[in-house]
Amino acid sequence: MSDNLRPDEAARALDEVRQRQANVIEATMIPAWFYGAVGASNVALAVGLDVGGTVAVATGAVLFGLGIAGSVGWVTIGAQRAQLRNDLLGPLGILAIVALPALVVGVSVPVGFAAEAAGWRYPATAGTLVGLVLMLVGGPVLNRLLRRIMLANRTGSRLGAPR
Amino acid sequence: MSGSGFNDLIHAPTRLSIVSLLAATEWSDFKFIRDSLGMSDSALSKQLTTLEEAGYVEIRKGFVGKRPRTSVRLNQTGRTAFEQHVAALQEIVARAGASVIPGR
Repeated sequence: MSDNLRPDEAARALDEVRQRQANVIEATMIPAWFYGAVGASNVALAVGLDVGGTVAVATGAVLFGLGIAGSVGWVTIGAQRAQLRNDLLGPLGILAIVALPALVVGVSVPVGFAAEAAGWRYPATAGTLVGLVLMLVGGPVLNRLLRRIMLANRTGSRLGAPR
Repeated sequence: MSGSGFNDLIHAPTRLSIVSLLAATEWSDFKFIRDSLGMSDSALSKQLTTLEEAGYVEIRKGFVGKRPRTSVRLNQTGRTAFEQHVAALQEIVARAGASVIPGR
């Protein structure tokens, strides 16, 4: 059949391949709100710990637990639809995934200790608020980067360059 | 005209969509494929059976709790055939030049 296939038909087929793979990548991405939900859960726990007292700590812990369980549960259920090929991410993608939590911890923990050393009343809250901002900004950036990497690594991404 | 990688079985429009989707995943849930491609259960089952008989996909049926679940995986044979097919398509396009390449 390839003998009869016109170049424009082949191009349309390649476009279909790329589009389908892009759709799968998009459908299985971690939603942007996930990062904010995790960051906000940390803030809730930190506020409880900073305020102190059984009620505050318990409330913070419950909110933290609900926030983490809810957001991770949602993402886990979504991940049961399909699992993306591991090699789509490549080393750079894995590095980016590790880098975001490393950045959040690496910045928010020192901020918390610095706030405590400066005598702030809510040092853990300060640290986790910085972490929340980093998650809110960094999460979508990470998603965009991962999307770009995976689209570049999908089959047929090098259109017109026979492999 | 083209190299030997062109695959008539994969090139059929619906199967090309299915295999393209599967090629991006380790495995996919039957319902996910069905909904993504807007197909009926029976139409998708028929195409998957064709691909399974060709030795390109593995279909696993199991349960998540009490709910039945069917997952589909493009095996190495299918992945190789798909990559060769894509390469054959790219070769056809490349020979014709960039004028036929649709936008990304």
